[in-house]
Amino acid sequence: MKAYTGGGDAGKTSLLSGERVDKIHCRIEACGEVDELSSVLGALVASLSQEGRELQGELREVQADLFRLGARLSTIPGSSAFAMLPLFGEEQTRRLEAAIDRLEARLPPLQGFILPGGHPSAAWAHVARTVCRRAERRVVRCAGERAETARDEKLGDLIAYLNRLSSYLFSVARECNRIFNVPERTWQA
Amino acid sequence: MAGVTETGRFRSRLLSRAWLSADTFQLDLERPPGFYFAPGQGIRLSDGGVEREYSLVCAPHDQHLSICVQVVAGGALTPLLAGREVGIVLELSGPHGYFIFQPSDRPAVLVATGTGIAPFVSMVKSGLRGFTLLQGASSIEGLHYRDLVQPSAGRYLACISRPAPDHALPAWGWPGRVSEAARNELSPGQFDFYLCGSRTMVRNVAAIVDERFPGSRVFFEVFY
Repeated sequence: MKAYTGGGDAGKTSLLSGERVDKIHCRIEACGEVDELSSVLGALVASLSQEGRELQGELREVQADLFRLGARLSTIPGSSAFAMLPLFGEEQTRRLEAAIDRLEARLPPLQGFILPGGHPSAAWAHVARTVCRRAERRVVRCAGERAETARDEKLGDLIAYLNRLSSYLFSVARECNRIFNVPERTWQA
Repeated sequence: MAGVTETGRFRSRLLSRAWLSADTFQLDLERPPGFYFAPGQGIRLSDGGVEREYSLVCAPHDQHLSICVQVVAGGALTPLLAGREVGIVLELSGPHGYFIFQPSDRPAVLVATGTGIAPFVSMVKSGLRGFTLLQGASSIEGLHYRDLVQPSAGRYLACISRPAPDHALPAWGWPGRVSEAARNELSPGQFDFYLCGSRTMVRNVAAIVDERFPGSRVFFEVFY
């Protein structure tokens, strides 16, 4: 695999299912947001020390999920490439829900709106959460497009995953502050 | 896709080496139990601490795994592979890649340069027929596996970028690069393009597709 081809120098690229689309096509935009999310998760993982080892493992699994999600976004249903992709959506969403439940059991009850910040890892988790919400909005936008290359009834599974992932990252941010004994700051109206 | 398993790591014995031209050879490797793949996929082969990816030229039903290797002067792996004794055990992983044939109602145009013919050989051995094939090389000698792939093509053009001045090209020869053939020899329409080989070729043909064949699909694999 080569790092570059130059095949997109004129502003077009190929989906995994072969269609040539503009780089501002909604699927490519959504893939870009997912890529940014994975990169921010990388910064979050890097900011965690030994105490956050369990979270590091979980977050790397999420990064692997995001590669699968990106491949899914790049592939039109009904294509042969689609048939080669592993199923993605429900199982991964359930896994996130279990992780959220596990984290919530350790965390103190919410006392109000939390101001993003605290330990650097918590701050990164909040950045990741907001990028995740943006990725979710991009996929929702794509699901509403009429173009044949965008139409995809199964994007709902990806939206559900991203919706749950942002909730998970909120819990991760709180968990990071708990692990590193940094108090949460809440919004004072 | 049926028959394709998760990627795994395997050990495999080198069974034979057959030179296809002065600098290109085919390696046959023992097929590890449990190794399945789709035509167009490849393996990562390790030797001497170096790992490189190669498309398989064999069919999924073949007994052995085969790859096509061009020796790169000063390369980290290919000179090693060129000299390895038959019988040694190599490490490989796979199957890798998504460069598979995706049937549709559009005519398929396969474009290969050099060893980029490899995945198409696997597809042809697996029954692919009726496609247009533009096979590029600097000389006739560089048209590896031509005898095998040409009879299965509905239309075949061997694009010779540096034809010998004193030798007339055969009827299936075309003087020039595959990208020029794609531009000049294909009627307007929508196609499924499969591009494999050099980065320059992929870049040039993708640009021609965008310009002249809108609505076509492009699948590609860059080898070098």
